[in-house]
Amino acid sequence: MDIPAMRANFAKAAAAGDEAPLYFYSHLFLSHPETRSMFPVSMAHQRDRLFAALGEVVSRVDDLDSLVPILQQLGRDHRKFGALPAHYPAVGASLLATLEHFDEDWNDHLAQTWAAAYKVVATVMIDAAEEAADQPPWWEAEVVAHERRTVDVAVLRLRPEPALDYLPGDSISLETQARPRLWRYYSPANAPRPDGTIEIHVKAHDGGPVSGALVRQVGVGDVLRLGPPIGHLAFDAESDRDLLLVAGGTGLAPVKAVVDQIARNGPARRVDLFVGARVEEQLYDRPELSRLEREHGWLTVTFAVSDDKESELEHGDIGDVVQRHGPWRSRDAYVVGPAAMVDDTVARLSGQGLPRERIRTEVFAPSRPGPSVDGEVTE
Amino acid sequence: MTSDESLSSGTSRRLTPADLHNVRFTRGSMLHPGYSDEEVDRLLNRVGEELGRVYAEKAELRDRVHALQAQVDGVEVPAPPSEQAVRLLATAQQTADNYVAEAEDFSRQITSDARVQYEEQLRQARETAGAILQAAHEAAGRTTGEAGPRGPESGLSTQELEDQVAYLKAFAQACRVQLRSYLEALLIDVESEWGRADPAVLPKAAARTPVPRGKQPAALNVARAMPMDDGARLTEDSGRADGDGGAAGSPNAEVVKQGR
Repeated sequence: MDIPAMRANFAKAAAAGDEAPLYFYSHLFLSHPETRSMFPVSMAHQRDRLFAALGEVVSRVDDLDSLVPILQQLGRDHRKFGALPAHYPAVGASLLATLEHFDEDWNDHLAQTWAAAYKVVATVMIDAAEEAADQPPWWEAEVVAHERRTVDVAVLRLRPEPALDYLPGDSISLETQARPRLWRYYSPANAPRPDGTIEIHVKAHDGGPVSGALVRQVGVGDVLRLGPPIGHLAFDAESDRDLLLVAGGTGLAPVKAVVDQIARNGPARRVDLFVGARVEEQLYDRPELSRLEREHGWLTVTFAVSDDKESELEHGDIGDVVQRHGPWRSRDAYVVGPAAMVDDTVARLSGQGLPRERIRTEVFAPSRPGPSVDGEVTE
Repeated sequence: MTSDESLSSGTSRRLTPADLHNVRFTRGSMLHPGYSDEEVDRLLNRVGEELGRVYAEKAELRDRVHALQAQVDGVEVPAPPSEQAVRLLATAQQTADNYVAEAEDFSRQITSDARVQYEEQLRQARETAGAILQAAHEAAGRTTGEAGPRGPESGLSTQELEDQVAYLKAFAQACRVQLRSYLEALLIDVESEWGRADPAVLPKAAARTPVPRGKQPAALNVARAMPMDDGARLTEDSGRADGDGGAAGSPNAEVVKQGR
């Protein structure tokens, strides 16, 4: 593979901006119309991602060791879109046509080297998809409960069929028929239960098509599609340190799964859970958390509000409140929420002497439809 | 016949060219010169059978070739789409994307305006309720202070004040409920406006009937598949503690997030 030539050629297509992916998808859909239904109606974001991802692959193509796990993940994940081995050559042909279209110096040598590189990529993805064939490509999940907790937060209980196995802290992508082909990631708020149901917390973002539909349109009896779980906030069940859990907004979901994991499977560890919101009304899971606190002696829950003068709860940013209750030097810490809240809390905990490697974090931001080449699922 | 007994004795084995080359017939006797008639006839029979089989096989193979050829011809190798077609589809897609993006932007604006309004009204209502409560407490303090020695009357006015406090609490609660349903109505409007953001329907979207769940017209599809990731543009309040929605994040900050 002549990698410098590939990069030079790719740079020409990338310089054309949106034109290049626009050409690619139009070419693909015209030559293989059956692929159109695998994509959402509006392709704007799809286009951004495709070329970003391709650029990543091209820039790493001489470092296959780092590329292969990413491609395998992508290959497995693409099953939920309905991607079949037969689709890969179609994509390859349109990719080459696009690269040719934007390069006046296109020649047979480039065509061969690109074809060879694409074949490597496609083979890795197809093989990974086939290895995952013992799992369904996606799970159908019926909504068995839907509670509006605040104006824009809903808690949903789903029953996947067949049972979906995951670890506390994993993320699961889902699609609702109200917004076909738009996949978003959510974290289960419980450890796997005997009845297989999964609780998810959804906040409707202004203008967010999927989150808005999940909060305001989806109801009991509707069926969602779930993708395979992706590991994120890895919960260290082996550690016997006591825990400090800090959550902002719906970042509560994965840490609640950790609490649930300990409640179900033990061993009991002292757990301090801090939950922050701007105003008291936004603490959407307060009764449930208070119930857990009453049931489990090892659990202490502290609620805090950052902008609510009337409230009788603790006041201040959650990081500040955590710090006031510290120091937490002996703990394993899990911090999940918006980026600013995570950064602030981590800085304060580190400042108090908690080693950084014992703080695990997850930033909750608007979700991507698919993981990036680095496996990120948020923007 | 010397070559091979099986050649003459049975038909189980196929006749090969080598077999024929190796045939050696038994010479006849003085009485009957030449080869043994019987062996020659037997061989001719076998050769005849073999030729028949070969022809049959050949015909069968010819048919298969024809069938396969027809299959190959039937498969259309899709011609690469013309430049014109690609451009046309690209333009159409872009137009659709722009409409969807506009509709989404519109929805985002309205929703965030509604939210700001809701929060402001809630804040005011709370402040008002707080102030009234405060005043009531002060009044109660004064009344009980003044009426202290007068006994029974003071009990009565405390009762009245408690009633008033209860009333105010209920009033505040009602305010909250009403504001909430007001915001809900706004949000439903936004949803339905957004749902009818199909280019063809957009100008007529004035009639605001909420679309019942599960019964959206087909035209909704354009809007349903909005491209934006949920709230992809963080509004200014997204950094606050109540943060963001269902998005799951990255494995840990040092690996993923800090690079961005």
